[in-house]
Amino acid sequence: MIEKIKKIRFTPRLILRMVIAVALLVYLTWRVVQVTSSEAVFGADTWLRFLISGLVIGGMYALIAIGYTLVYGILFMINFAHGEVMMLGTFAGYFVLEAFSAIPGPGTEGVNFLNAQPIIALILAFIVGAGVAALFGFLLERIAYRPLRGAPRLIPLISAIGASIFLQNAAQLLFGPQRRQYSNPDLLWRGTGWMIPVGDKSVMLTYTGVFSFVLSILLMIGLFILVKKTKLGKSMRAVAENKQAAALMGIDVDSVISKTFLISGALAGAAGVMWGIHNGLFNHYVGFIPGIKAFTAAVLGGIGNIPGAMLGGMVLGLMESLGPALLGLDFQIKDVIAFTILILVLIFRPSGLLGEALTEEKI
Amino acid sequence: MKFKHILVILLIAAFALAGCTQQTEEPMETEEPEETEEVVETEESEGTLPQVCLDDAFGCAEIPAGETIKIGMGAPLLGDYSMFGTDISQAVALALAQDDGFEGFTYELVAEDTGGTPEAGAAVANLLVTDPTVVAIAGHIFSGSTDAAIPIYDTAGLPMMSPSATNPDLTQKGSAVFNRLAFTDADQGRSAANLLFNELGFTKIGVMHDGGTYGQGLADVVQAEFENLGGEVVAYEGITPGEADYVAPLSAVAAGEPEAVYFGGYAADAIVMMNQWAQAGLEGVLFFGCDGTFGVEFTDKTGANGEGAIAASLVPPDSAEKTAFDEAYAAEYPTEAGELSAFTWSSFDTGNVLIAAIESVAFVEGDTLFVPRGALVEAVRNSDFTGLTGLIKCDEIGECNASGPAFYQVVDGVWVPLDLGS
Repeated sequence: MIEKIKKIRFTPRLILRMVIAVALLVYLTWRVVQVTSSEAVFGADTWLRFLISGLVIGGMYALIAIGYTLVYGILFMINFAHGEVMMLGTFAGYFVLEAFSAIPGPGTEGVNFLNAQPIIALILAFIVGAGVAALFGFLLERIAYRPLRGAPRLIPLISAIGASIFLQNAAQLLFGPQRRQYSNPDLLWRGTGWMIPVGDKSVMLTYTGVFSFVLSILLMIGLFILVKKTKLGKSMRAVAENKQAAALMGIDVDSVISKTFLISGALAGAAGVMWGIHNGLFNHYVGFIPGIKAFTAAVLGGIGNIPGAMLGGMVLGLMESLGPALLGLDFQIKDVIAFTILILVLIFRPSGLLGEALTEEKI
Repeated sequence: MKFKHILVILLIAAFALAGCTQQTEEPMETEEPEETEEVVETEESEGTLPQVCLDDAFGCAEIPAGETIKIGMGAPLLGDYSMFGTDISQAVALALAQDDGFEGFTYELVAEDTGGTPEAGAAVANLLVTDPTVVAIAGHIFSGSTDAAIPIYDTAGLPMMSPSATNPDLTQKGSAVFNRLAFTDADQGRSAANLLFNELGFTKIGVMHDGGTYGQGLADVVQAEFENLGGEVVAYEGITPGEADYVAPLSAVAAGEPEAVYFGGYAADAIVMMNQWAQAGLEGVLFFGCDGTFGVEFTDKTGANGEGAIAASLVPPDSAEKTAFDEAYAAEYPTEAGELSAFTWSSFDTGNVLIAAIESVAFVEGDTLFVPRGALVEAVRNSDFTGLTGLIKCDEIGECNASGPAFYQVVDGVWVPLDLGS
């Protein structure tokens, strides 16, 4: 060990980074100790609430982040219109649930379909939401990115931004700028849940929160199995590794790329429907902020790395929720904290938390 | 390939043409070239300008025959806060439409969207001062966007009368053009703190705000006044407007175990907070809002969660004129007066006050209407008008409000006047 330390070349850059790292660690530890023990403003029930809220939102960010990472792994471009794909999923799920709440349930008197058969309604809402988002992801690739395949990297990026603005405004013109509210089935009503006793208080674990979190985990596991165990997954990994070699091996690269956009769109659509069910209110801008946050999460975890996107999403969600409280700062600057941590991670570990060192071809 | 290029060029040209020919409120197209010189005092003896205009510090607005006298407004007409802009612009438009006009010139409202932001408030102000037929401003609506616009209108000599910008500092900046009909947040905050401590008997409250000029201004007044009265403010938290999840700041407030929570901000965020009330551990704690959280949007989107919430409104006492206005408003528009926001009646009064001021200084020469701008600024400041909300008389700094805030509570999904007997 001493030999290893002796071998380190203490360049000014390294020393500067070490000084910053140590200073930060000291400050953070002092803050955390102060907030949790000496000042002890929040009880255990409040911390649990922060944790729950962070996990739920983290799950949604993770799903959207996976979409960014999948596309980057294959095409080395950031799909900035991904947030809008999520927004379209939210709208699709909304219209399905609205339709179901308008028609009467089978056999029951005075109960609409949504409440008579909530499970079927929810499953259909998710399928339609994910399906519509997947379709738009596919169309996005075909219309905005495929024609620019050979162009310099900046051009598809601009096209993505243009597509994002187009989709936002198209949604505004088609559906109106007013905010709409999801009609949940009574079974999964927003703001209801299990009450967990913590000390002499009780913390609410909302049904929608648990539902969203469990579904996020299930979808992430599903994707992991898809990528690791199926032939399509193998093709995706091959194309991500080296496009030309994969084409030489007989993989239809265009088809794999389209399927990747379909999958990433479907995940974003599912996240969108979850967002609507858990948060309720949305309009055409609903995809903008989660899109940026999920992109941050994907970069935080290591862009191009799927477990990295999942981890990045969770970490970002938890940091947003717990960060201000842990550091004893204003809740208004939770975004500042989240993005500062992103910057710090990129300074000290540029490839992200789980990121891989990029090979030459990828750069 | 070539065909594709031609197609793309044609598409772009089609879009450009569609954009250019769209008739939105664009008064700039009708401007005559020599009008822009009038804003600055000129010594040119054109011979056609009346002496009053040459003497006036800001010159005259010249409205040729066939044009309308325009009153401008910067309001949130689109987006999360559109209920305010829609309600207020509708009421002012009704006031202008009901008036018979002046010497054959009718009035027109030019309402531009600000989305409620200060940046857009300044942009709209810059836009409206370029139109020579805009003589007065009914606005702006949000305190933040009004604050940004006041210096611009000061330079151009356009008088303002806001029905809803309530931040106290707005009249403390020495502006000659800004006046307002709305009660100040200083009044509203003090009334709210008084109500919470003395009438409702709470001793521990939490205070929250949305970081804006209006919201934080109110929250600060309530905090100071409540502590002055002897109460304890156990938590003071700010939120970022436009988010979907406020459980974290609400939980932080809940940790202090308040008996009630005061919120300075707008309905869009209040709705999200109200729906997450129980999740955050604030079950049973009273939500005390402000004039920004009042309206049908709040009751619609919170449903059962909003039961018992309190907000402030600006409803005038009943009178024959109020009933007549309520009926006219309901006949003309799909909503009722006071449904979307608290400011329907004060907006109607704003329109009429401005008309009265314009008619007191304007005159016709030839077939052009001249409105001396400096004289109009003074006329608006010296308004002495009885409207639906009472006697509107402005003091030296531009406070013209006639009636203070009235507090309302959600009972069975509807806003009813707060009944302290319960």
